[in-house]
Amino acid sequence: MKASVSQQQLAHGLGMVSRAVSPRSTLAVLANILVATDDGRLRLSATNLELGISCWIGAQISEQGAITVPARTFSDLVNTLPNDTVHLELNPATQSLNVRCGMSNTDIKGIDAQEFPPMPTPDIQDGIHLNISDFKEMIQQVAFAASTDEARPVLQGVSMNISEDAAVLAATDGFRISVRRAALSEPVSKPVTAIVPARALTELARIATDGDQVVTMVMPPGRGQVVFHMKDAELISQLIDGNFPDYRAIIPRSFKGTTILTTNAFLKACRQAEIIARESNNVVRLSIQPGGDQPGKVEITAQSEETGSSENFVEATVEGGSLIIAFNVRFLREVLEVIKTPSVVLMTNANNTPAMIQPAGDDTFQHVIMPMHLG
Amino acid sequence: MPARTIIHIDLDAFFCAVEELRDSSLRGKPFAVGGKPEERGVVASCSYAARRCGVHSAMPTARAVRLCKDLILVSPHRQAYRQASENVMSILRTVTPLVEQISIDEAFLDVSDLQEDPGETARALQARVYQETGLPCSLGVAVNKLVAKIATDVGKAGHHGDAPPNAITIVPPGSEREFLSPLAVQMLWGVGPKTAERLRNKRVYTIGQLADLPEKVLLQEFGRNGFDIAQRARGLDDRPVLIEHEIKSISQEITFQKDLSDEKRLRKTIQDLAEQVGRRLRQHGFVAGTIRLKVRWPDFTTFSRQFTLAQATDQDSVLEGVAQTLFSQVWKAGRAVRLLGVGASNLKQGIYQLSLWDTPDEKMDKLMKVMEELRERFGDNVIQRGGQLVRKH
Repeated sequence: MKASVSQQQLAHGLGMVSRAVSPRSTLAVLANILVATDDGRLRLSATNLELGISCWIGAQISEQGAITVPARTFSDLVNTLPNDTVHLELNPATQSLNVRCGMSNTDIKGIDAQEFPPMPTPDIQDGIHLNISDFKEMIQQVAFAASTDEARPVLQGVSMNISEDAAVLAATDGFRISVRRAALSEPVSKPVTAIVPARALTELARIATDGDQVVTMVMPPGRGQVVFHMKDAELISQLIDGNFPDYRAIIPRSFKGTTILTTNAFLKACRQAEIIARESNNVVRLSIQPGGDQPGKVEITAQSEETGSSENFVEATVEGGSLIIAFNVRFLREVLEVIKTPSVVLMTNANNTPAMIQPAGDDTFQHVIMPMHLG
Repeated sequence: MPARTIIHIDLDAFFCAVEELRDSSLRGKPFAVGGKPEERGVVASCSYAARRCGVHSAMPTARAVRLCKDLILVSPHRQAYRQASENVMSILRTVTPLVEQISIDEAFLDVSDLQEDPGETARALQARVYQETGLPCSLGVAVNKLVAKIATDVGKAGHHGDAPPNAITIVPPGSEREFLSPLAVQMLWGVGPKTAERLRNKRVYTIGQLADLPEKVLLQEFGRNGFDIAQRARGLDDRPVLIEHEIKSISQEITFQKDLSDEKRLRKTIQDLAEQVGRRLRQHGFVAGTIRLKVRWPDFTTFSRQFTLAQATDQDSVLEGVAQTLFSQVWKAGRAVRLLGVGASNLKQGIYQLSLWDTPDEKMDKLMKVMEELRERFGDNVIQRGGQLVRKH
């Protein structure tokens, strides 16, 4: 292999794929990145067997070939090289990669590319086409609500339902549920139901560059995998096997109280309260006070015996009676951070039943949070 | 980890021993506690005389009766076993609070901090259990739970005759490998029949041979479990003795070096004690409904006053406020105080995150609670799991 690439593009590509590297695996080659010539471009790939990421960068190729090199060594090196052309050359006899750029000349010992797990080449023709920026927003609004508890693998995933002309993503950790719907620009021929690891979708949102580009989703039959294909990158993930809980039954249908707040003011108040609350189980109390003739307000308080106490008021339009309800402030902050509308609606019934948060005037996004119990 | 001393105690033929106390005519006779043969019962426990005929626990009663013609069958008296077990466990807790009960008739004690010779502790304990409950027991003493339990098993296995073993086996620190070496691999925890068979295929019969196998071989053969087996074969086990108990109250008290009558210092002491109690409440995630103040005068008479709150709390200021008010009620200016204490009881789980749906654990907890209540009121047979029902036509 002999190829020349721009240092910037190479560094960018390595940053993209290195999140799938598995540095502490028993399989040494998984700590490596595959560097291969591929149809006039240079391909970089990494996989931890659950998640695989590839990207392609423009290159001048004078000799075909492939090698895997330790991710950490290669990335660290490339990041310190000048913004110039990087010349890569494989020495097949020693299985080492020579990296030359400016005055720098380094040989990195590699492992034969044959040992790298094969990545499937999907048939993109069968895929579902999704608009990248829309899909990215959906992921950002849903994936954070997935569980990190390894004992409940199903909840570590995002439920994905695509039927005819709509896609629904949902995730829950047992304490909150995030559900986002979106219309598809082109209808699908057959419906898709799958549980995709939240981690894979978060990585996808990270590597997907904005714009009007399209991401094509393919599930090769019988492999338990999903492939997201973009122009210059591809992400492959194992699917999670199991039944996703029936979240529709849990989303309340009616509420006694509706409170409308300015998203930014509410978020700011939560961030401030969190500074105190993080020392005391993350608990904040929301006192929702209707105003009568005046505008109403929501008082947000946090108290920690160790660090102190904080109080914040946010003006609000309150329909329904007054209520004191406690929440994990991190849950509130995380959902407010992904709401794009200027106003947000908080819907409540009682201090021990699920509450719902929605962007005002937008019912494609629903977020349900269970309150905290006060002794 | 500093050197530890662990005692494993196992009551000898526990159910039978309790039955012998209930009916002394059973003494020395072959008998078994268990279900009736016509109901497909199994032997829950059998006397040492019955064991000599080849009867053992978990054997179908019908088969036991065939093996031993004179076998007397006794229906179980579970309430009596529970009571006897509780009596024994409370004796163990007078030796050390570090008692881990692992079943109705078995427990581990961590006696590392006792000054007494561990062998002496074991002998004294065995004698006391027998004196106070009439129940025989066997003990194993070693540096960890693994070896202590095997020591008990070895002591019991070396016993023959109709009388209970009453064995005490001590494995001095450092001699674990030597002690385990000649024993069959099956005596190791985690080595079941399947594993034992695979080891036999490798010509490994004793724990010593197992310990000599390179760790790599075990890892290859048994994966992650192989590592644990290798550790155990070498007599290594760092699991602590786990004590599990429900916290009913949290309190702090202090005895002054010299009796104290200065109000400012007394009040400051109450504040400190309240803060300590508050901190421990929050650590455990509790809120307290009742707050108690304890005062001991120089003549050792002791006053306790308590106050029940409208709303349970874990806040220092509330705890202190109540304790100070109670103090004002019992204390007159200038009176000397020997001891002060602040306590919180009527504990409830404080703030916690509610779940969207009951987790399987929570469902099971609720079910168990209801079953328990029904049994308390109407007896053990009032409710059963579907799987335990035998179809009667």
